[in-house]
Amino acid sequence: MSGGIARGRLTEERKAWRKNHPHGFVAKPETLPDGTVNLMVWHCTIPGKPGTDWEGGYYPLTMHFSEDYPSKPPKCKFPQGFFHPNVYPSGTVCLSILNEDSGWRPAITVKQILVGIQDLLDQPNPADPAQTEGYHLYLQDSIEYQKRVRSQAKQYPPLV
Amino acid sequence: MEDSNEEFEPLFDYSRVQPFNVVCLDDDSQDESPVFCPKKRKLTDAKEKKKEQDVDSKDVKVIDCDDKEDDEEDWLPPPPKNVNNCSKTLEEDSTLKALRLKRAELASLAQSAEEVVRAVEESVRKDLSASLQYSPKSDTKQPLEPPHEREKLVISIQDKDGTKQFRVYMDDKFERLFKMYADRIKLDVKNLVFCFDGDKVSPVATPASLGMEENDIIEVHVKSS
Repeated sequence: MSGGIARGRLTEERKAWRKNHPHGFVAKPETLPDGTVNLMVWHCTIPGKPGTDWEGGYYPLTMHFSEDYPSKPPKCKFPQGFFHPNVYPSGTVCLSILNEDSGWRPAITVKQILVGIQDLLDQPNPADPAQTEGYHLYLQDSIEYQKRVRSQAKQYPPLV
Repeated sequence: MEDSNEEFEPLFDYSRVQPFNVVCLDDDSQDESPVFCPKKRKLTDAKEKKKEQDVDSKDVKVIDCDDKEDDEEDWLPPPPKNVNNCSKTLEEDSTLKALRLKRAELASLAQSAEEVVRAVEESVRKDLSASLQYSPKSDTKQPLEPPHEREKLVISIQDKDGTKQFRVYMDDKFERLFKMYADRIKLDVKNLVFCFDGDKVSPVATPASLGMEENDIIEVHVKSS
C-alpha cells in the first residue's frame, strides 16, 4: 500500500518537475539498462549558486526514496568524499528537512529539497558537522576552505 | 455462390436438430409404452400435412393428446410417434429441404448484400481517413505549407531569467526552434547549449524522439567564450 503511495507521489513530483523547475537543476528517475524507469531512485544535479564559491559546479546528487515516502524523507547522497561540513564521508547529506525526526514534512517537494541543499552548500551548518575535514577547515582556515570549494566546483563542470 | 454454400450448412444441421428435439420431449413416455406404435402412426400421418408446414414439436404434442383421449393411455402414444416421426421427417425432408434451401438462399443473399454494403462503407471510411492523413503531406510537398494534422506541443525554453514558450511540431527537428529562439534573443545559436533533463539536445532530435510532453522545459545555457 505504502509503496503505491510512494510511487503515486513520485509520479506527481516528476510531472510537476517537468513543467516547472529552477534553471540548471536536473531531477529525473533513473532509467534501468532495460529501459524501464525506477521511480524510487532519482539522479539529480544541483548547480552551485551564482555569486558564491560554488558557482560553476554542477553537483550530482542521488535521491533514494523508500516505500515509506513521503512519510519518511528520501536519502540524498553526493558522491563519496564530497567536500562539505554537513556531508558524511559516504556522501549522505545531513540537513534538518531531510531528517524524519526534525524538519521533514511529507508536503516537502523534490524541488524544495534540491533548492534546500543548494542553499546548504554555501551556508553550512556548523552545529551539525558530518565530516571532520570540511568542518575543521570551515571553522579554522577559511582561505583553505574557499580554495577547496572552488577546486571542487571545477571537478563538476556542466555536463554540456 | 460460395457464401451461400457456407450459409447452407448450418441451416441443414438445424433441420436435423428439430426432429431430434421432438424425440427428447417425448423420451419419458417412450420408455413406458412402446406397444402403441401402430396407432400413433395413423395419428402422425394425419399430422403430416401440418408438419410439412413447419409444425414444431409443441403442436405435435397437443394434437396427440386430443386423439388419444379415447384410449386409456393418453400420454403413451407420443413415444411411438417420435420414432415414426423420425422416419417421416426424412421423407418430408425433400419438401422441407427445398423450402429451407430457398430460405437459406434468400438469407445468404440478404446477408451477402449486407456484407457488400458494409464493405463499401468501410472502404469509403478508410479512404476518407487516409485522404485526411495523406492530404496534408501532399500539401506540404506542393505549396510548402505546414500540414494541419501534425501534432503540436508547447515547449518552454528557460534561461536564467525566465521562460519563453514555443509551439512546435512533435516531429519537427529542434534546429528550427533553436534558430527561432536565438534570433529572438539576438544571440548566435552557436553560443547556446540546449538541455532537456540534463542532456544536451541535438539539433536533429525532435520532441517526439525525446519523448517530450506538453509544457516540458528545455534549458538554455549561454556558452562562456
